[in-house]
Amino acid sequence: MIDRIASFGRSGLELVVSIGRAGRFLAGVLSGVPRPATGFPLLVKQLYSVGVLSLAIVVVSGLFIGMVLGLQGYTILSDFGSEAAIGQMIALTLVRELGPVVTALLFAGRAGSALTAEIGLMKATEQLSSLEMMGVDPLRRVIAPRLWAGFIAMPVLAIIFSMVGIWGGMLVGVDWLGVFEGSYWGNMQASVDFFDDVVNGVIKSIVFGFVCAWIAVYQGYDCVPTSAGISSATTKTVVYSSLAVLGLDFVLTAVMFGNF
Amino acid sequence: MSLRSYISLKDVVFSRTGRRIFDGVTMDIPRGKITAIMGPSGTGKTTLLRLIGGQLQPDSGDITVNGQSVPKLRRKELYALREKMGMLFQSGALFTDLSVFENVAFPMRVHTKLPEDMIHDIVLMKLEAVGLRGARQLMPSELSGGMTRRVALARSIALDPELIMYDEPFTGQDPIAMGVLVKLISDLNSSMGLTSVLVSHDVQESLSICHYACIIADGKVIGAGTPAELQVHPSEQVQQFLQGHPDGPVPFHYPSSVATEDFGLAGGVS
Repeated sequence: MIDRIASFGRSGLELVVSIGRAGRFLAGVLSGVPRPATGFPLLVKQLYSVGVLSLAIVVVSGLFIGMVLGLQGYTILSDFGSEAAIGQMIALTLVRELGPVVTALLFAGRAGSALTAEIGLMKATEQLSSLEMMGVDPLRRVIAPRLWAGFIAMPVLAIIFSMVGIWGGMLVGVDWLGVFEGSYWGNMQASVDFFDDVVNGVIKSIVFGFVCAWIAVYQGYDCVPTSAGISSATTKTVVYSSLAVLGLDFVLTAVMFGNF
Repeated sequence: MSLRSYISLKDVVFSRTGRRIFDGVTMDIPRGKITAIMGPSGTGKTTLLRLIGGQLQPDSGDITVNGQSVPKLRRKELYALREKMGMLFQSGALFTDLSVFENVAFPMRVHTKLPEDMIHDIVLMKLEAVGLRGARQLMPSELSGGMTRRVALARSIALDPELIMYDEPFTGQDPIAMGVLVKLISDLNSSMGLTSVLVSHDVQESLSICHYACIIADGKVIGAGTPAELQVHPSEQVQQFLQGHPDGPVPFHYPSSVATEDFGLAGGVS
């Protein structure tokens, strides 16, 4: 019994230490002001690998999720004779929730795991150490551009996801199932508020982008530099990011839309 | 620290994960010479280089490099000091997304504002010095182990450092590659006036080029001096290491329980 309590306590302490280390790591990354001449090209390169290369999976997923929403929405709403409201249902669902959340989950699986594996491998092959010994801070040279790239790319990806989803919903609802196109766009325009819905959705995706990128780069930087260590860190990135996104989504939704 | 010392360690104590790695190590590394730090695997030779480079902090004691106390340096000062150091890692640690040319040019691009044509010429000169000018377009994945270390060596001398540290440069090399590295380390030291610290457990190769050598075991320096002095060192432990005897002060058997217990035999001797 005592052993179990001790083990529980040890796990708690390890968690606190880990959070503290991650916080110090973040402070170290954000404390340095990058020089535009060197920092900007590095950021652009990472924006390409983190953002542009994630476009395919985001666009395809957005399209299918929008199409599924169109089908499900039509089936449910037509029971009440209100299938004309399908446009507002799809738009609100995507802009408020599915856009930021699903994009963040896809980001964690596609870009987050790649970031962790890349940084972990750089650590295992002593590339990070060699940077330090060359008088180059790896936190600023390697980690900071990747963190900022995730932070910037996520809201853009989430907006693209929602736009493609709305278009996918229209393909099914309007072009296939015959909902009047004017109703689809008109109801959407009347019910979606720019600040309450669109801006709040973007704020969500900014928070998710920051958290996902932070978890990914920290797990890579802090991993045990072996094959098993990198594998474990990559798994942790996906699991922790997904849980953090879902948990934070609840909190943010309660704060943004919880005016009961 | 004497005037001739470039690096000086005084009573350095260092522990990691509850294990005492160094227990009061004191040594002086002379300026402009090759000093070999040798010792059995797992004695913390690489850790010693990381302490000198400020990547690790000692629990107590002091480490000075060119008169500057490394553990007391602020982050900015430490990074400035490292610009005068070069380090050859055991794996080479080349940046895998950059070509050979770009790897060698990297320190110059980061730390200097030299024009591109000058960087081009310096990189080719450094690569020429290690015999790989013709390999400048290759990627690290296309290099052999020996070539990787030679490129890493070219990169570590790109900024003309005062100090260069070699971490196990001979490990896993074929005889030709090993001979090339031995020659390069010796030539670079004499031509550039470098202070070189060579961490290795390849006794013959290290003693053939070093001016001084230090043998570390059990967290302490057990022998130090010129190669000739070490060959006649009275310590049995030093002689066991230099001659490669399988048994001696460092036992052949890992500490274990009585053998008869492990084999399930009552009584008897181990």
